[in-house]
Amino acid sequence: MNIELQVIGSSLRSITEEMGAVLIRSAFSANIKERRDCSTALFDARGRMIAQAEHIPVHLGALPDAVAAVRGHDPATDEIFILNDPYAGGTHLPDITLVSRTALGFAATRAHHADVGGPVPGSLPAGSTTLEDEGVVIPPTRLDEGVIDSLVAQMRNPGERRGDLRAQLAAHRLATRRVDELCAARGRPLVERAMDELHDYAERRVRAAISKLPDGRFEAADVLEAGEDDLVIRVAVEIRGETIEIDFTGTASQDTGNLNCPLAVTRSACYFVVRCLTDPDVPASGGAFAPVGVTAPTGCLVNAEAPAAVAAGNVETSSRIADVVLLAFGEAIDVPAQGQGTMNNVTLGNDRFTYYETIGGGQGACPDAHGPSAVHVAMSNTLSTPTEALELGYPLRVERHALRLGSAGRGRFRGGEGVVRELRALEACRLSVLSERRRHAPRGRAGGDQGEPGRNLLNGAELPAKTTAELGPGDVVRIETPGGGGYG
Amino acid sequence: MAILGVDVGGTFTDAVLLTAGNELRTAKVPTARRQEQSVVAAARAVAVTGVERFAHGTTVATNALLERKGAKTAFVATDGFEHLLHLRRQNRAQLYRPCADHPSPLVPLERCHGVRERVDPDGVVVPLELESLPEIDAEAIAVCLLFSFRDPSHEREVADELRRRLPGRRVVASHEIAPEFREYERASTTVIDAYLGPVAARYLEQLGAAARGAGLPEPLVMRSSGGVATLAEATAHPALALISGPAAGVAGARLLARMAGFEKAISFDMGGTSTDVCLIAGGRAELTSEREVGGFPLRLPMVDLHTVGAGGGSLVSVDPGGGVRVGPESAGADPGPACYGRGGRRPTVTDANLLLGRLPERLAGGLELDVAAALRAFEGLDPAAAIEIVNAEMLRALRVVSVERGHDPRDFALVAFGGAGPLHACALADELEIGTVLVPAAAGVLSALGLVASDERRDRVVSHVRPLREVDSLPREGTADLRYRGQSFELSIPIQDGLEEAFHRAHEERYGTSDRDREVELVAVRTAQTTPGPTIHLPPAGKPLHVGGPAVVELDGATCFVAPGWAGERDGVGTLVLTRA
Repeated sequence: MNIELQVIGSSLRSITEEMGAVLIRSAFSANIKERRDCSTALFDARGRMIAQAEHIPVHLGALPDAVAAVRGHDPATDEIFILNDPYAGGTHLPDITLVSRTALGFAATRAHHADVGGPVPGSLPAGSTTLEDEGVVIPPTRLDEGVIDSLVAQMRNPGERRGDLRAQLAAHRLATRRVDELCAARGRPLVERAMDELHDYAERRVRAAISKLPDGRFEAADVLEAGEDDLVIRVAVEIRGETIEIDFTGTASQDTGNLNCPLAVTRSACYFVVRCLTDPDVPASGGAFAPVGVTAPTGCLVNAEAPAAVAAGNVETSSRIADVVLLAFGEAIDVPAQGQGTMNNVTLGNDRFTYYETIGGGQGACPDAHGPSAVHVAMSNTLSTPTEALELGYPLRVERHALRLGSAGRGRFRGGEGVVRELRALEACRLSVLSERRRHAPRGRAGGDQGEPGRNLLNGAELPAKTTAELGPGDVVRIETPGGGGYG
Repeated sequence: MAILGVDVGGTFTDAVLLTAGNELRTAKVPTARRQEQSVVAAARAVAVTGVERFAHGTTVATNALLERKGAKTAFVATDGFEHLLHLRRQNRAQLYRPCADHPSPLVPLERCHGVRERVDPDGVVVPLELESLPEIDAEAIAVCLLFSFRDPSHEREVADELRRRLPGRRVVASHEIAPEFREYERASTTVIDAYLGPVAARYLEQLGAAARGAGLPEPLVMRSSGGVATLAEATAHPALALISGPAAGVAGARLLARMAGFEKAISFDMGGTSTDVCLIAGGRAELTSEREVGGFPLRLPMVDLHTVGAGGGSLVSVDPGGGVRVGPESAGADPGPACYGRGGRRPTVTDANLLLGRLPERLAGGLELDVAAALRAFEGLDPAAAIEIVNAEMLRALRVVSVERGHDPRDFALVAFGGAGPLHACALADELEIGTVLVPAAAGVLSALGLVASDERRDRVVSHVRPLREVDSLPREGTADLRYRGQSFELSIPIQDGLEEAFHRAHEERYGTSDRDREVELVAVRTAQTTPGPTIHLPPAGKPLHVGGPAVVELDGATCFVAPGWAGERDGVGTLVLTRA
């Protein structure tokens, strides 16, 4: 590999990391600043992802769709587009994506905003049935001050929303400047070649790793907990030479609730599993996923059509897709036991405040190691909000934050422990919980025990996996997250 | 008066003595398992008599942390939060390796305890029940209760009770060492300090005795902030000295830059396995209070070092995609680079420098370098490619401390030291358009030299976390950590008239946006009480020298490669001042 191109490639990666640092350090949403639920990336002129700062796996394969949606509008240099429509480049509504032109292509930032309007604070309602129930839908739109004003006016805490959008804009300004500097220092043609090379390099590495997997077709199924019923996700993974085809034929039709997701999210979950099993250190570039094809019937749970609701798709369905794809690979090679398989989304808010968090749990044990405790598994990797930051910012009190000892599946290698978290409302507000693995426990592997399923409680009384409730001052929500499965 | 500086490193212990007659003597001795013995040996090697000031840089605390050889420690938290150290911040160690885990916490679960009490942002919610504090069996105890950075009353009572119950044990309360918000990071800092306490105390006591035995004055100990403190202060809080050695290096770089007439410099210390860079502006090293050591967050004043896991001994390899990689694996001191002829077969950065003619075949110390062995190690690999890759990593670090923090590197001089720094400096300066490279005559013992002239320094932080306009009085000097209300990260602004406006401007500079309608919040005020170190004049070192690149110049403990297009000469104290021709 040409060394100068490799060196320029590392500069491109640094730019995305610096963009991420600017966004996190100047943002206002707890989600972005404390929990780092955001991603930043550079694309080439053809819309291929070249480099991404890695914070959250679920953003990994989903950003290219946002850039494709904006390219269709043929943006001019210095124009910035905004979108969150899951059916036009987005994932779920709170994830607001900005895409701008750079000298060599595009820059993109995606950040999970604390609220994007709609009837329920936090914009992740448990009971939504269409997209309109989940907040303001933004198709790809040219962004200017007028657009910002009219968008934030439809959301809660417009001042905070404006601050977060400014933080995203700061990252885009930085991208423009840094790409210009790089072109000035190295010459534009060389930087373009380096972008191609970064893409191809990642592709070579992943192809080489896939070729070591056994060829064949491997199938698996698992379920999501929708109300009283289960929804099945079925997958067939076909490994042939240096390529993998992943097909979701046989998966349930799209849900009347909000467990649906666009194909972009499904792709992210598939790429996540492939990356874990092939080349975990490959640079995050679109080339890494070129050898992986993902298909799903239109109108099914994992390739939903407008106007299906999608609030839980990005967080919960994506977790299950990762589980089921991993199970299918498990027919071919040794893989870890199942982890908590949910993000345990909790939103509390009223007209004055909105607070959202996701809670870690047990990782499944690996064939050669215990599963870590109290972490996000699979598609998320957000940090916890410090109790002191939470209580300084919101009318909430954390009563308990502890390991859920005994929740891990036993085995030669044990799963990770889940978490117990208790939040007390200090003023009237609305609670929304989106969770999974409350009925079906994370499975063990190779004879290992399953982990404990999770539980949600309000003042000691059990709540369903997905629920919305009105809280009065003093009410306590307790979430017990699942433990990971054991191995052997 | 005679002044002694002794810096203990992983492989060598360096001494620098400036005699009353203004003679500069240096020595290097191997580091022994018991560091106090190496300190005395190094002091003897510079033939010490009549020393009036003795400053010391140590790695005892760092090693004890990295090797997990600290005290049996317990942790006391607010009831319901006793697992704090095990919950961390919930993110996993590696995104795509599910079972990769963080280093296990310094306190196991069975020694993590809760005490019934609760303070929230507005004050006490649940009164303290001291009787809920269990029996504790440990050599050291860290106490971190919620909101103690704001109201330390409960935490103080718990610490007092533990000190009463367990006389002679080390008890550290979080508000005493790091009264800053975010409980996990504060607890981590407190636990590190408690865990290292007994080990550091034993060492410093032995060091004090060894110094007395050798006729030396009581040592001053270099702290991470770049200033020294008394032996008693260092014993009280060893976590403050975790990056003692690198901080001494920065102090040395600052000293020589100032002597060469530069108040703005970037210190570039490239050793065998890692490289530290630090920005010096206005004659002062930039400080930070956010860093991880050994995988644990530390919130204490430290010189703002950016560390890269690559140096002269780093191994060069080719990955499956055909990319050239340097580090993080290192050939270490044993076997060392292939050209050292001690059995190393894998290619290192040092071998690449030798093959490119940037190292002599016989080092000043007498070591013969084996070119044939280096050639064998590099079979099928281009040494120039290895240098380009390692330089790209260094460049990234230099950009992080300069460009990414709003400083234009062209305004700075690059001070290159450590065994490998002077080999790479010209190429890096070219990339950043830096006009001057300074290579100290004592490039191999610069940390010890930094100790000689070090200031005494005591840092203090006061947490506020409230609107700036509600704060009545601020100290006249120091820095204020400010942010817009609602943000989580602060900008450190020197205290001045018109502080709020200065913050808006700094935010504008850093993020391209400011908002004068938004409330500005004061998070913390940091002050330092410093007593300037001795004013020293270094004697002339080395013969007069004019050099034009390409050329190789041998120094005390390092080799300098003067790249094509660079030329320079020695200044009055022997620093090689290179400028682009």
